Amino acid sequence: MNALLQADAIAVTFGGLKAVDGVSFTLKAGEIIGLIGPNGAGKTTLFNALVGLQPLTSGKVVLDGDTVSGLKPHKVAAKGMTKTFQNAALFPDMSVVENVMTAALLRHDLAGARMRAEQVLDKLGLSPIAEADVADLTFPQKALVEMARALATEPRVLLLDEVMAALTPNEMDEVMDVIRALKAEGLSFLVVEHHMRAIMALCDRLLVVNFGRLIAQGTPAEVAANPAVIEAYLGHGAAGKEAAHG
Amino acid sequence: MRQLFSPGRVVLLLFFVAAAVLPLVVDPRGHLLRVAAMVLLFAAMAQSWNIVGGLANQISLGHAAFFGLGAYTSTLLFLKLGVSPWIGMFAGAVVAGVAAALLSIPTFRLKGHYFALATLAFAEVMRVIANSWAGLTGGPVGLSIPFMGTQPAYFAFRAVSSYYWAILGLLVFVCIVFQLLARGAIGYRLRAVRENENAAEVAGVDTFRVKLTASIISAGLTAMCGTVFAQFTFFFDPDSIFSLAGISVRMAMIAIVGGLGTLGGPIIGALFLIPLEEVANAYLSSKAAGLSQLVFGLILIAAILIQPRGIMAFWPKKRRAARAARSSVAPAQAAAKGA
Repeated sequence: MNALLQADAIAVTFGGLKAVDGVSFTLKAGEIIGLIGPNGAGKTTLFNALVGLQPLTSGKVVLDGDTVSGLKPHKVAAKGMTKTFQNAALFPDMSVVENVMTAALLRHDLAGARMRAEQVLDKLGLSPIAEADVADLTFPQKALVEMARALATEPRVLLLDEVMAALTPNEMDEVMDVIRALKAEGLSFLVVEHHMRAIMALCDRLLVVNFGRLIAQGTPAEVAANPAVIEAYLGHGAAGKEAAHG
Repeated sequence: MRQLFSPGRVVLLLFFVAAAVLPLVVDPRGHLLRVAAMVLLFAAMAQSWNIVGGLANQISLGHAAFFGLGAYTSTLLFLKLGVSPWIGMFAGAVVAGVAAALLSIPTFRLKGHYFALATLAFAEVMRVIANSWAGLTGGPVGLSIPFMGTQPAYFAFRAVSSYYWAILGLLVFVCIVFQLLARGAIGYRLRAVRENENAAEVAGVDTFRVKLTASIISAGLTAMCGTVFAQFTFFFDPDSIFSLAGISVRMAMIAIVGGLGTLGGPIIGALFLIPLEEVANAYLSSKAAGLSQLVFGLILIAAILIQPRGIMAFWPKKRRAARAARSSVAPAQAAAKGA
């Protein structure tokens, strides 16, 4: 029970296309849920719908008792939910610390935001590049800064859209350690990731979407054994084979 | 940036000091002082524009609307009610601020060219209204401010130098406002909006509110420039004060050529463009019709092609390069330290 985030039959329709089609789920405090599905399944659209970037066609999103669907993203962020962007949408003309500061301004004045930003950067091991130009960063660094910026809004629910996409296995382990540490502090995550190893190791539960619909959910082990999931990933007749995708 | 006497501030301070003593060393009745006054006034106008156009990258081509509203508000208050233009200047700022807020509601959902065209249309509407509502505005004939000798309480002076110093004071004021905004919380938010509006929203920035705040302040400052222009020139009409080429585009162009979103940009832009235009007019307008505009236009195109980020880009490059040099070591450290 005591769901922190509750999505209630949310749907997003573009013209005739149902990008998200009646998805319901709950997320508890301190829980990590993985969102998986083939490319184009509607994962990013679902994220955008949750944080208010994409208006819902129908359904409702409730965050800790408050309805947040229909609110603008900055209001949703103020309520405690934000997301990272798939291809690191940093502010390119700002330094790393300025990027993070801008988000910290949500809850702090200028001086407080700078302190908060430095704390977050330190937590993610980014202090050495705090003054760097975003343009000079490597892709993994950009992904981490993107995460730092989201954390600077002090969320209770953080939606991570493929933050590990370009990471080496070692870097992935490091990011997973950060996520677990934040989880231990009570932060909840919804994670889109194509690396099955990361998903399986990190998530308490998985949601599987295909063509905008939720086709399965459960623990990683349950989902991995689910024939509908294997079919969605590998097509008809593949249910017997190992789903080592990603 | 944190140090009190950074090279940029020293240069700026020297510029203001040099500008302040200029009337003491040139012919006080000469043409040069009038041109210098126009340089400072256009620098102040471009700086006002820079708050929205530079910090948030909302390229307005309609700031003549606010400029004209400032001129008309203070002048009409003076002519019809005897209100001092000093007070009228702030009344004009309020009127322009309200107009900017009303204009923001429909136009902020527009991006890029569409926003520019909508603001352009707004200024054109103001021009048409000022031309046709003759009962209030005097119509196409325009408004004249009667010569009253030197009456400081009514913003009236005999000497050009007095106006010149008033304009310089306005420029300093606008620059201070710009810098406070740029370095304050709103400056971070505006730059976030400029660089990625969706990411800004998700990072908790109320994008509509920051743009609205910036455009109200920008419009108010532009209107104050309009009042000062009216007092300085004693006369204006709808076509000149709401002029697309003469005011709106020129404000944007000065800021762009000087360096968008920078404190020094509008000043350098005005120092470059206004005298250039004067020289082109002085030497070429008698040679052939339109030749001076043609040459001026060609030089502008060349300036933008040579340095699209504006003249100021030659300055902060050093700082960026220094920062990049520092950070090139840093990634290795970060990788070593890990998450």
